[in-house]
Amino acid sequence: MDLRAGDSWGLLACLCTVLWHLPAVPALNRTGDPGPGPSIQKTYDLTRYLEHQLRSLAGTYLNYLGPPFNEPDFNPPRLGAETLPRATVDPDVWRSLNDKLRLTQNYEAYSHLLCYLRGLNRQAATAELRRSLAHFCTSLQGLLGSIAGVMAALGYPLPQPLPGTEPTWAPGPAHSNFLQKMDDFWLLKELQTWLWRSAKDFNRLKKKMQPSAAAVTLRLEAHGF
Amino acid sequence: MKLSRKEQAESARNGDQTHLWEGVGKWEIVWTAETGQPRARPAFQDDLHRLRRYILPGSSMTSRDRPLDRSLYGSTTLRAPAPRAAALLRLRGFHSCYRSEKTNTKIPALLPGDHEISINPLHGSRSSISRFILNEENISLIPDTPEILNLSADFSTSTIHIKWNDKGSVFPHHSDVIWQIKILRKKKMEIVTLMTHNTTLNGKDTVHQWSWTSDMPLECVTHFVRMRCYVDDLHFSGHKEWSDWSPVKNISWSPDYQPKVIPKDKVILVGSDITVCCIIQEKVISAQFGKEMCSLIHLDGENVAIKIYNVSVSPTSGTNVVFTTDTNMVGTVIFAGYPPDIPQKLNCETRDLKEIICTWNPGRPTGLLGPHDTNYTLFENFSGQNVKRAEDTTNVNYQLFFQMIPNREIYNFTLKAHNPLGQSESTVLVNITERVYPHTPTSFKVKDINSTAVTLSWHLPGSFAKINLLCQIEITKSNSVQELQNVTVKGLENSSYLITVGKLSPYTNYTFRIRCSTETFWKWSSWTIEKQHLTTEAIPSKGPDTWREWSSDGRNLIIYWKPLPINEANGRILSYNVSCSSDEETQSLSEIPDRQHKAEIQLDKNDYIISVVAKNSVGSSPPSKIASMEIPNAPIVAPNFTVEDTSADSILVKWEDIPVEELRGFLRGYLFYFGKGERGTSKMRGLGSDRSDIKIKNITDISQKTLKIADLQGKTSYHLVLRAYTDGGIGPEKSMYVVTKENSVGLIIAILIPVAVAVIVGVVTSILCYRKREWIKETFYPDIPNPENCKALQFQKSVCEGNSALKTLEMNPCTPNNVEVLETRSVVPKIEDTEIISPVAEHPEDSSEAEPENHVVVSYCPPIIEEEIPNPVADEAGGTSQVIYIDVQSMYQPQAKPEEQENDSVGGSGYKPQMHLPVTSTVEDMTAEDDLDHTAGYRPQANVNTWNLVSPDSPRSTDSNSEIVSFGSPCSINSRQFLLPPKDEDSPKSSGGGWSFTNFFQNKPND
Repeated sequence: MDLRAGDSWGLLACLCTVLWHLPAVPALNRTGDPGPGPSIQKTYDLTRYLEHQLRSLAGTYLNYLGPPFNEPDFNPPRLGAETLPRATVDPDVWRSLNDKLRLTQNYEAYSHLLCYLRGLNRQAATAELRRSLAHFCTSLQGLLGSIAGVMAALGYPLPQPLPGTEPTWAPGPAHSNFLQKMDDFWLLKELQTWLWRSAKDFNRLKKKMQPSAAAVTLRLEAHGF
Repeated sequence: MKLSRKEQAESARNGDQTHLWEGVGKWEIVWTAETGQPRARPAFQDDLHRLRRYILPGSSMTSRDRPLDRSLYGSTTLRAPAPRAAALLRLRGFHSCYRSEKTNTKIPALLPGDHEISINPLHGSRSSISRFILNEENISLIPDTPEILNLSADFSTSTIHIKWNDKGSVFPHHSDVIWQIKILRKKKMEIVTLMTHNTTLNGKDTVHQWSWTSDMPLECVTHFVRMRCYVDDLHFSGHKEWSDWSPVKNISWSPDYQPKVIPKDKVILVGSDITVCCIIQEKVISAQFGKEMCSLIHLDGENVAIKIYNVSVSPTSGTNVVFTTDTNMVGTVIFAGYPPDIPQKLNCETRDLKEIICTWNPGRPTGLLGPHDTNYTLFENFSGQNVKRAEDTTNVNYQLFFQMIPNREIYNFTLKAHNPLGQSESTVLVNITERVYPHTPTSFKVKDINSTAVTLSWHLPGSFAKINLLCQIEITKSNSVQELQNVTVKGLENSSYLITVGKLSPYTNYTFRIRCSTETFWKWSSWTIEKQHLTTEAIPSKGPDTWREWSSDGRNLIIYWKPLPINEANGRILSYNVSCSSDEETQSLSEIPDRQHKAEIQLDKNDYIISVVAKNSVGSSPPSKIASMEIPNAPIVAPNFTVEDTSADSILVKWEDIPVEELRGFLRGYLFYFGKGERGTSKMRGLGSDRSDIKIKNITDISQKTLKIADLQGKTSYHLVLRAYTDGGIGPEKSMYVVTKENSVGLIIAILIPVAVAVIVGVVTSILCYRKREWIKETFYPDIPNPENCKALQFQKSVCEGNSALKTLEMNPCTPNNVEVLETRSVVPKIEDTEIISPVAEHPEDSSEAEPENHVVVSYCPPIIEEEIPNPVADEAGGTSQVIYIDVQSMYQPQAKPEEQENDSVGGSGYKPQMHLPVTSTVEDMTAEDDLDHTAGYRPQANVNTWNLVSPDSPRSTDSNSEIVSFGSPCSINSRQFLLPPKDEDSPKSSGGGWSFTNFFQNKPND
């Protein structure tokens, strides 16, 4: 598991700019001018940024959980945390999915993960940790909006949240602190895997869409990376 | 025969032995006989008192009489052998008969003393009657086996509760009972603990309860409990024994098949020990507590436990305990912390008399956060009201707000702190009106009343209606000092306050700020922000200072005035009005703008009154008036002057301007008088005095401020006077006496000449004296020999002392004492003998004082003086020395030069002779060979030297220098000179002088 702290403010500044432009994405699309290319690029960038941000957050959070969670070789069997959306998927199955399905899965997964993260934030005992979590939640919210934008740009409907599937964060008395910590650990790990997977998804989508929106993408690339 | 408990149990099962006591209150007497008769087995007699045996009819048993409360024990059971069930038991003492169909029966408790019991089979021959004697002392008291009524467990606290009945009703007397409770664990029934519990029987059946807390969670492993008792009946004289153990009861926990770690999320005290167990069906590979790996304690099945001692404070999220199997990982979180510290510095105050704020310091951190964090509750004891601190993990302020109760001033607060590990509290009693810390006043404003007073207003929220407020105003005048004014104002309800500040200066910048407290001072509020305020203008307090001057052509009058200083202008001067009025006419010039401070009016030479008025925005100043024709006056003061520099022939004078007010006219110039004169004696009479020695200088250039007076005489007192004059006349004088400096060249010459003369005379005298010194000596200090002075020849005295050398210098004249010297010679051989006896090796460094003394005396005497003193004297002395030392020389073969000696060369033997005194001529060879020998021969001297230098360790032997050092001793000096060959004396210049010099130098250190 490679969750390590690190930072790059330049990257952050750039991606904040990207975030800033995100709300405009659906509107742009509605006018039909630039196509989905730019929004896919932005989503991809945001995913990469979140990956980076998560490394920092996970370092802090795992230290908070204490040993053995913060030990580098800690690799527990996945117990509990059953409601967490699994990012791991058979490569063949994954390749067989179409863009719409992939985007839908991404969207649903992040919706769930965001809910869990917010619960995590409520639980955190230290102010510093809360700040980090809140910051990450905001970024993840941005990613969710970004994916929605891409889906809208491509003409896919947003998945409707089914009643009951909305995860309820209730660490009731039956839930022990240890299992809670285990869930937190898996949440971070799933997030990391999902972000990694999403980055690949969006990269693939980006390449697919490139001919239609080459110019815009190039401009963005020159600007950002 | 003594049976172990186990054997007893076995025999009880076999049926052929029976407890005599069955239950608490019955005798049981057993007889066994396959034949229907009890056997006669005398060997068992001794065992009867142990109550666990066969009863042997017919055996005779004796025992002491003992009173026995008959009512104490109800009955005794006598048991007959089963096959012949029916029997008749007859107690002789009571004449009672008990019929029993079984082989036992119960009889009432016995009175003290022996009781003969006979057992008669109902259907048998008479021969089978058994008889025996029974006494209470032969009976044992074995309580009934207790029974655990109820065994329950509180898993959350790992506590087992045991309940049982003491069946006290069967004991008519109060007796102490000891209960033993045994706790066992695991299926193997390992004893955990054995505990004792004491109760008293009170004649009634009582249910007792006892609890035990396990160090291991009860869920982890099955716990078993059994107990027994011991009745300590003081009235019973027989033997008392423990009851049998009760049947075991157990506490177990039947979990589902999910692996579990127990305890779950437990909060414990730092430093305590804790056992954590894992209930699991798989084999546990490792267990980890925080970062530490723990050793496993195996319980039933695959269950394991770990025990952690002296747990330290947990990190924020608790300490994780993790058990790992091949496929699974289970764990729990332990929170180790402290109970809440006593809240410190609990302080309650109010800012507005509406709400009380209590703050405190939590003290030592508990180490527990989140749900286990400390809860604080503030109780007000008089009203019974309380408030709780919000359980918000982000709340870092330790404060609680309590709404004040109307018309109440005294509050008694108790702050209670509580967390899962304990609680604490602290209390404070306050009169809240004395603990007012007002808010910072708001809406602070300054308003003018007039040019010297302002009102300050501010708002202060709070219900201060019943108290007075004390406020402090800081008034800072621009570029001036701060002033603090305290004012007391009546408190109001959420109101604004207003005060007046007076005694201000008009048209001045002030900075105000304010803070408040209450009359019963507790704390000042913060200062308000500063307010700058410029007071309004007032009319100028006086008119400007005015002068006037006629123009050069005499037709115009020029009027001058001085601008008013700011403290008199009381505002910004906008203009001046000038008016000239005479009896006939009035001329006026109005609205002369500021900056212009003169006006010119054409007037005739009549008398006019000129008035000048300054105007500011508020009004005009009182006029300042002067007359046009007023004659200018002479200055009323003289200029201050100082002497800047003086020399032998000049004085430099410097003076200052006379202030305009005191000049009283236009300065035309200065008059400077100077002349010889001393203080008090000389006075310049009259200005422009005729006295020729007084010179006058008229300085008409009024810008000139210095004057150099030249051509004066040196060291002479001069009287200087300076006066200023205007058209109105000459002002007063200012005088000063100055003494010019002396002419230094003449003085120097006057000193130098006598000095030079004195020096020359001295030199000439010295030369003369030197040239004629012999004559002088002959004339004034002829040498007179004085034998008494020749101390060197007085052997009794210690000549070798430091001073002795000097004295010997003077004893030179004692030449004639040859006779004495010859006597000394007789001493010399002695010394030689000594030397021989104690050669080199023996006393290389030893220094006995006696030896050197003798030696020295011998060797000294004449020669020193011989060297030091000019030839004529030396001749005499030389002769002496020759005479004295001829022999010695021949023995020593003295010839050496000091240099040679120092070099340790063979030639250096010039000095060796002394050293080799005892060894004679062979010395030379030895000297050549070895320095040691060298030194040895010279030992006496060396010794003396060493002794003088107070360094016996000084290495005479190895270093040639050391020998030189030895020469340095007074003894050696002298002796050296004795050693000089006669020819040296004949030609003192050649080597004798050198010798003496050397000696002299070498001698020095010793002096």
